Parts: sequence; structure tokens; C-alpha cells
Amino acid sequence: MNVLIVEDEKSLATEIAEFLKAENFLCDLAFTGTEASEKIAINLYDFVLLDLGLPDHDGLDLIKEARKTNSEASFIIITARGEVEDKVRGLNLGADDYLAKPFALIELLSRINAVARRKFNLVNPDVVLDDFIMQVQSRKLICKGNEVDLTKKEYDLLQYLVLNRGKVLTRQQLYEHIWGNILDDQYDSNFIDVHIKNLRKKLNSHAPSPWLETVRGVGYRISTPE
Amino acid sequence: MRLKIKLSLFNLLSKLVFTAIFLLLMPFIIERINLRQVDHDLIDKREQVISLISEIGIEPFITSDSSDTFGSYNILKEEFISLERISPGEEINYIEVTSRLIEGEEIDYRILSYSFEADGQTYLLEVGKSLQSIVHTGKNIRQVMLVFLVFIILITFVSDYQYTRLLLRPMDKIKNKLNRISDPSLFDMSPVKTTTSDFVRLDKALRELMSHINELFQKEKEITVNISHELLTPVSVLRSKLENVLLREDLDREVEAKIEESLKTLHRLQSLVNSLLLIARIESHQYLREDSFSLNEILREIIIEISPMAEDGGIMIEEELTDDFHIRKANRSLIFSMFYNVVNNAVKNTPPNGEVLIKSVRQPNMINVEISDTGKGMTEGQKNTLFSRFKMKNKDSSEGTGIGLAIAKTIADFHNIEVSVSSEPGKGTKFSFIFPGNS
Repeated sequence: MNVLIVEDEKSLATEIAEFLKAENFLCDLAFTGTEASEKIAINLYDFVLLDLGLPDHDGLDLIKEARKTNSEASFIIITARGEVEDKVRGLNLGADDYLAKPFALIELLSRINAVARRKFNLVNPDVVLDDFIMQVQSRKLICKGNEVDLTKKEYDLLQYLVLNRGKVLTRQQLYEHIWGNILDDQYDSNFIDVHIKNLRKKLNSHAPSPWLETVRGVGYRISTPE
Repeated sequence: MRLKIKLSLFNLLSKLVFTAIFLLLMPFIIERINLRQVDHDLIDKREQVISLISEIGIEPFITSDSSDTFGSYNILKEEFISLERISPGEEINYIEVTSRLIEGEEIDYRILSYSFEADGQTYLLEVGKSLQSIVHTGKNIRQVMLVFLVFIILITFVSDYQYTRLLLRPMDKIKNKLNRISDPSLFDMSPVKTTTSDFVRLDKALRELMSHINELFQKEKEITVNISHELLTPVSVLRSKLENVLLREDLDREVEAKIEESLKTLHRLQSLVNSLLLIARIESHQYLREDSFSLNEILREIIIEISPMAEDGGIMIEEELTDDFHIRKANRSLIFSMFYNVVNNAVKNTPPNGEVLIKSVRQPNMINVEISDTGKGMTEGQKNTLFSRFKMKNKDSSEGTGIGLAIAKTIADFHNIEVSVSSEPGKGTKFSFIFPGNS
């Protein structure tokens, strides 16, 4: 998929590009609004990651512009301005999602994937983890025909780990994904540990769950099948 | 009391007072007017009689051989004229009220007495008029006046009230404009239509004040936007770089741990910046207070959120949510944050087997939410710095910014919620949130 990264902070743009390339995206960079509007006019993109804080351009105008030439593109706004209205205005203009800086790269990826699934009507296939089956569509975890009774938070946590299978997710990344930014000041790595502990207890009462790994000093990971 | 009612009542009262004075004075006035009229009549009659006598002489009335007096009165004895021969003496000419006995009936008369000479003799002419008719006229006039005045008062009261209402309508509009909004930025800047210059000036002054306040908020907002951008962009760059490094598969365990440590530290910085920006944004009114929601619903959500943590620490969360309250004109996610921060703080500061109690109680004219714990409590000194932004409550903790309670206080102030804390070292702490009555 083609992604245009519109971001005036060059080192951030290149980091995002490096990360997305590793995930098999084709990345194009624009460091100014003018550059971005030229590229949007010539090329076709699946995604435009748009920083609203461009020095030469109102980022929101770019969305309007792109609607004409790149009607298929999805927009994800990334901004450090932190304005409450920006989010509303952006989403009203047809942006597909909004991410406040600083964000986890893995979170950006999962937002891109979520938008893509919505856009192409992709159905998340069920995921098999040994004896467990995660039915992503119906938000259920089944073990040998029985549903595992999970709280909403526990399910969200497990699904985020499952969707990013094979990657280590830090407690902070997990926390931000589940609780968002509003409770930022209350961040406590213990939160995630407690939820994982409860989750494991529930899983193990049905069947062993060695696939849910603790990566010492870093975070958690769901291992990929051999 | 509303201004228009006050004005109308004052008008009514002043009219009533004037009417009462007028009605009290009226008998005198009427009497004076009547007496003057009667006196005029009497003098007219006297002139007629005198001119009659000078024309036809005194003979037809009084002859020298017959009686000395002549008297004439009409059948209802309302008027009389009498002539009497008197011995010469002082000239008589006066009008007075006297009782006269006529055919065994005593009647009050206004009598004009006048002496004159005719044919060498002195005569006394008396012309009288009964006062009975005067009293009747006075009564009639009074009754008519009373009915008339009551009618006038009613009519003017209604018209006064209506006119005052019309006159004060622009003020009602200005008042409504102020009442409707929860924030200066929502103030309707279109001028109120009126020809009353006072209201025009009031409206203008208000609009100027509001746009001044909005300008100040706007400036503050721009500052927070700039600070936000300047501080969070470098954090964002660092974070992405470190995360990318962490994704490398050839990483040494030791290096991996170091990078994870750096990410944690970076996250503390990010949290602190975000927290301070949150406070700045609340204080510069960048959040709207437009939501309506149930208070107990929020408290229950928070209990569900925090329960796993509390259970893990062996702490009971008890709820006594007896009355439910509907909060209006507030920001739901901020109120959620406020209670979340306080409940979370209570859970963190309570030892195992302790208890955190969340209560909502209706009190006359206000809503009170209490969050109490059986934790270690605070000294007076700790209590005083509880809500300050840069005092770390828990120095051992490497996580959290210790700014949660300062945020809670800022949110409370933004919503005019009164927060009070009572605490006893070793026994526990109690936070009370008193919502204003109109919430």
C-alpha cells in the first residue's frame, strides 16, 4: 500500500517511514505543505498521514484539496497541537482517524490496519492459539467449545496483542491503546500486569496458554505458531 | 422580584396614595365650592328682591298697619325669603349658617342677612337656602369620583405593566443571552435591538467585555498550542527512534533493557507535559461544558475500571450510590478524569485489607460525592500541598507524575465544584465534592 507521510519534522518522518517499510508499505515523504499538495496532485495514495502543524499550510486544507485528486485516499491526522477542536474538525472534513503525538508506531500501524479493514470491508479471520479460538468479528474467545468469560478491557488487551502477533508490546503501548490519553497522568505499568495476570488466570482455567509470553524487562508478546 | 413587577407595583401604590389623599380632602373642597355657589345664588336673590322693591315699593310685602314681617318659602322648605321691619341701627350684611324653626321643623340654612332703608324705615332682608341639598350633592359627587378613580387605577395599572414589560424586553434578552451560555466563547455577539440608549450601552459594554475575554482565552490557547507542539514534537521523534531500535531482532538483552528504560523515562516526560497542558487547556476554557449525564453511571464506570487494581492490592471498593443525579452543562470526560484520579489515588494509598468508599448523597440544594479510604492519611502539612502541581506525593514511585490531584482540582474549579479534604494520619482520608445546586 502507498503511504504519503506529511510531516515537517524530518527525523520523525523518516522514522515513521522506516517502520512502515518494514511492514511492507511503500512510503513517500513530504516535509512541507506545498510539497505535499504537489505529490497529492500527481500520485495516488492509499493513506496520507497528515501533521496539522505544517509551517506553510493549514493541514486541514490539504484534506479538502486531496478530496479532488485522491478521492480514494484515507487520512490519518497526527498532531502535537493537542487542540480539542482539531480532532472534531479533522474528522468532519473526512479524516479517518486522529492520533496525538507522541504515539507508538505500533499504534499507528494498528490504526492504519483498522482503517484499511473498514475501507475494504475486510473481515478479521478467526485466530487459533492452541486450544483457543479468537472470534474477532463477534469479540469472543472460545476454548474447546466454551466461551472464556473476559472483561472488556481484558478482551481489548488480548486482541491488541493478537493483532500484533510476534511483536513485543511494551506496557506503555498497551496502556495507551486501551486507556487512551485522557488518563495519561495516572499511567501505572502495574495496571497492565494486573490485567495480564487476571487474563492468564482465566485462560489457564480452560487450557494452558504458553503463547502469551512475558518478555522480561520489556513487555508482552503473543508468539507466532512454529 | 422582577423589575417590571416592582415598577408596576410602585406605580399602583403611588396612585392609591394620591387617590386616598384626594378622597380625604374632597368633602372639604366640595363644601367650599358648594358654599361659594350658594353664596352667589343668595346674593343674586338679594339683588332681585332689592330691585323688585325699588320697582314696586315695599308695600306689597309689608304694610304699615298689618304685621311687621313678611316670609315666603317653597313647599319643600329648601329656600326662603323674609322681610322684617327693624329699628334703625348698624348696617347688617353677612352670610352665616344657622338653624331655623319652620313649621316645627329645625333645618340648617345658609342665610344672607341684609339691612336696607325704604320709605324712611329700616328693613332686614334674609335670604336662606337649605344645606340639605348641598350634602346630597357632595355625596353623589364622591361616589361618582370613587368609581371613576378605581376604574382609572385599574386601567393605568394594566397599561403601565404592559408598557414596562415592553420597555424591559431588551434587558430580558440580554439576561437570557448571559444565562444560556456555559462559556464566554458561546456568547451571542449580535446586538440586541432596542431604542433605549441605556440598554444599547449595556449590551455594547457586555459584548466588548466578552470579546475581550475571548481574545485573552484565544491568546492563551495559541500559547498552549505552541508549547504543545514545541515540547511534544521532540518527544515524539525520540520515541519513534527508540521504538524502531527496539524492533531490531539482533538486539543485545542489555541494550534492549536500556532502551526500554529510556522509553519509560521518556514516557514520564510525555505524561508530565500532557498533564500540564491539560491543566492549561482547562484553565483557558478549551473544553466545552455541554454534556448531560448521570453521576452514578460515571462513578460505577470508574469502579469497574479500578476494581482489578484494588482486588490485586486486597482492597475493597464499596459503593453507596443511593441517589442518582443528573449533571448538566459539564464535560463528561473531564468529570470522569476528576473522580478517576481521586479514586485511583485513594486505592494506591490504602494498605491491603483496607477499604475505599464511594458515596453520593443529596443534600439541600447541593449534591455531594464523597470518596473516603482507610489509608495512611495525611498530616496537616501534606494536606496543604495536596493539590499543588509540583509536589511529588510519592517520591519512591518512578511512574505517574503525582499531578493527578492537581488535575482533579483544576477540573473541579472549571465546573465550580467545591472540593474539601479531611484526613487523620493513620485513619484515612476523605474527599468531598460539592456540586453547585443548579447542576
